Amino acid sequence: MLKAIKPKMSVVWGFLAVPLIWYVFSVFVPLVVALAYSFFQWKGGPKKTFIGIGNYVQLLHDGTFWEAFGHNIYIVIICIVGQIGIAFINVLMVNSRLCRLKGVHRTFGFFPSTISAVYIGMIWKMVYDQKRGVLNWLLEAAGRPELTQNWMNNKSIVLSLISVPLVWQFIGYYMVILLAAIAAVDNEIFEVAELDGANAWQRAVYIVLPLIRNSLLVCITLCVSGNMKVFDHIYAMTKGSGGPGTSTMVMALYGYIVSFKNQNLGYGACVSVAIFVVSLAVIGGSQKLVNVIMKDKGVE
Amino acid sequence: MNKKLLASVLSVAMAASVLAGCGSGTASTAAPAADTAEEDAADETADEEETQTEEAEDAAALAYAGEINLMHYSTSEESEGNGGSDGFRTMIANWEEAHPDITLNQNVLANDEYKTQIATMAAADDLPDVFLLQGMNTKSWAAQGLVLDLTDIIKESPYYADYNTSYFTPFLDGDKIYALPALTGGTCTVVVYDKQMWADAGFDSFPDNWEDVKKANEYFEANGIEDAIAFGNGGQWQANSCFLSTLGNRYTGKEWFQKLIDKDTSAKFTDESFVKALQFTQDIFASGVFNEDFNTITNEDAREYFIAGDAAAFIGGNWDESYIAATLLADDEEKYNNLGFAVLPQPADATEDPLSQNIGLGYGLAINTKVAEDPDKLAACIDLIEYLTGPDFSDYVAKNYALGGLTKVEDVDLSSFDSVVQSFYNWSYVDTTTCEIYDSYLDPAVWSVCNTDLQSLMNGDMSAADVAADVQKAYEENYLGK
Repeated sequence: MLKAIKPKMSVVWGFLAVPLIWYVFSVFVPLVVALAYSFFQWKGGPKKTFIGIGNYVQLLHDGTFWEAFGHNIYIVIICIVGQIGIAFINVLMVNSRLCRLKGVHRTFGFFPSTISAVYIGMIWKMVYDQKRGVLNWLLEAAGRPELTQNWMNNKSIVLSLISVPLVWQFIGYYMVILLAAIAAVDNEIFEVAELDGANAWQRAVYIVLPLIRNSLLVCITLCVSGNMKVFDHIYAMTKGSGGPGTSTMVMALYGYIVSFKNQNLGYGACVSVAIFVVSLAVIGGSQKLVNVIMKDKGVE
Repeated sequence: MNKKLLASVLSVAMAASVLAGCGSGTASTAAPAADTAEEDAADETADEEETQTEEAEDAAALAYAGEINLMHYSTSEESEGNGGSDGFRTMIANWEEAHPDITLNQNVLANDEYKTQIATMAAADDLPDVFLLQGMNTKSWAAQGLVLDLTDIIKESPYYADYNTSYFTPFLDGDKIYALPALTGGTCTVVVYDKQMWADAGFDSFPDNWEDVKKANEYFEANGIEDAIAFGNGGQWQANSCFLSTLGNRYTGKEWFQKLIDKDTSAKFTDESFVKALQFTQDIFASGVFNEDFNTITNEDAREYFIAGDAAAFIGGNWDESYIAATLLADDEEKYNNLGFAVLPQPADATEDPLSQNIGLGYGLAINTKVAEDPDKLAACIDLIEYLTGPDFSDYVAKNYALGGLTKVEDVDLSSFDSVVQSFYNWSYVDTTTCEIYDSYLDPAVWSVCNTDLQSLMNGDMSAADVAADVQKAYEENYLGK
C-alpha cells in the first residue's frame, strides 16, 4: 500500500525531468546561445564573424543603450513608488474596519492586470491623444484649454506619461500579494496596537510594514525585474519606435530594434546579455537597499 | 505493472508534446496561414478570367512535382481594394491551378510581421524557396549567399523585352540582379487634396510652392479648417519614405543618391544640399501648415483627418491613396469626385526636378540559393516568379485597377474608369518624373538612425547638421564598412 502511495525515486525524477528539460531549453539554452552570439558580428544570414568583445566595447560607447538604461531606472523608481506604494495604501484601506464590499475592491483592483499590455497601451494612447484624447477633453471641459497639449510629443514628461498605465495596470497585482501577506498576520496584533493608542500611520509603519517585510521584498523584486524588461506597453504606445526621438526608448525595445529592424543580430544578442546583467545588478542592489532601510526601522 | 506502464507512456507523451511544440514554431504558424491562403485563393479562382488560366496552362510543362514554399504579405484582408495584392493572389491561384502536380505552401503574413519573420528566417539560413525580397536587403543577403543570382535567368525570360528595367535598381548588386520586382509600382509620396477646399482658398490646383501653401493655410485657419495638410510620422518611417525621400531629391538630384548606393564617397549625407533638405523639413514642419500632432499619430490616423475634412490635403503613399479613395467612394461621393493629386510643392531654394516623386517596386520575388540544387524545382520556381510578375499580372492590374507592374502594358484603356482613377494613373505614370525611394536601398541600420533623428529634427530638438552627421556615421559603419 505504502509503495503505491510513495513512488520510486526514478518515477519522481522522470516526472520532474519534463519541466526541468523544458525550463533548461526555454530559459537557460537561449541565454547561453545569446552569450555565444554576442561575440560575433552577425548581420543576418548564415555568415558570422568572431569579433571577441567587440560588441561589448561598442555597447559601452552606445549612448542610446545607456539612455535606454536610464529610462528603465526612471520607470522602475516610478513603478516601485506608484505600484507598490499605492497598492500598500489600498491594502490598508481595504483592510480597515470601515471598508465595505472588500471582495468588490479586490476584484476590481486586480482587473487591469488581466488585460493585455497592448490593449492597455492603446487605451492610454487614446487618453493622451491631442485631438480626440480624454485628457485634453477633460481639461477643456474644466475650462482650462490652455493646459491642453500634444502629451506624447512633450519629451520632458513623456516618460512619466507612459509609466502611468504601467502603474495603473499593476496596482491590483501587488494588492493581492500584500493582502495575502497581511491576512497571514494574527489580527490580535493590530487590535492590541489600536488599544495601545497607535494611530493609523504608526500602525502602518511600525506594525504592518515589518510584519510583511518578506512579501514586500518579493513585490519589489518582481516590480524591478518586470520593469527592467518593460517592452509591450511602450511598443504599443509609440508604434514600436520609442519616440519621439529616443525619449521613451527602453533596453528591451532597443534590443528588439537592433536585432530585428536593423538585422544586427550579434549586437542584439550583446544587448540582451547586457539587459540580463544590469537587471541582475539592479535587482540585487534594490534588495540590499530595502534591507538597509528596514534595518533603520529596527526590523531584522 | 499496468500503472508503471501507464506512467511511462504518459511521461513519454508529455515529453514528446513539449518537444514537438518547441521544435517547429515556424511550421506550425505557417500551416494555418497556408490553409487559409489556399482556401481564399481557391475562392478567388472561381471569379478569374478564363483567358488567364488558359495562358497559364499553356506554359505548364514543368518536370517538377512536389512542394514549393512561398512566403509573401498579400493577405486576403490587404487584397480587398489593393490592386497589387489582389492581382498577386489571383496570379498565384492561376498558377496553382495550371500546375496540379505542384503544391504551393504559402506562408502569408501582414507586412510588418512579414519583415520581421523573413529577417529572422534569413538569419537562421532557413528562407522559403520563393519569397519577397525588400530592396534594402539585396546587397547584404546576396553577399551572404542567401538569394540566387537571377541575372541570366531574367535575360532569358520570355517577357524580358517588356520589363521596365528601371524597376530592377533596388535588386542589383553590381550588375547582378537578385529579384524580379513584384506587385505594383506605386508612389510613396503623393499629395492627396480636396479640389473644392483649395478652390475656396483661391487655388485652382494644389500650389507648386510652399509659400502659397502657407497662404492657403491662413485661409483654412480663418475658416475653421484645422490644417492645410495632414501628416503622420508616429512610426518614424513616414517622414523618410513619404516626405524626405522626394524632398531630398529636389535638393540633391538623382545622381547624388546613386553615388551613395554605389559607395562613391564623393557623395555624403553631410553634403550641403542634403543638409538644406533637412533644414527645410524642420522649417516647414514648424510653420504650422501640418497638423500639430504629426509626430505622434500614424499615417492611418492622419488620413482620417483628411477624410473627415479637418485637413484640406494629406501626404502619404499609394496605400493611403487607395484607402482614402475606397472610403470616400463608399461614404462621401461628392468629396471623392473632388479628389486631386499633386507632387510635393517645390521649396524656394531647391534647384532640382520639381515634378519628381519617389515611385518604385519596393519588393521583388527572389529564389533561395538552395533551390538551385534541384534543377527541376528551380525551373518551377523560375516559372512561378516569371508568371507572377509577367504580362498576365500587369494586364490584370491595369484592366481592373489602372495600376502598372514590372511588365509594360501598351495602351492602357482608362475609359472604363472614373475620372479620379484616371487622374491618379496619369499622375503616377505619365505626368510626373521619378526618383528613388530611399529605404529601398542601403542598410536598415542607416534608416533606423535617420528616422529616429528625423523625428527629433521635426520637433526642433536636433539641428539639420547633427542629423546629417549621425546618418553619415551610420552609413559609413553599416554600408560602406561591409
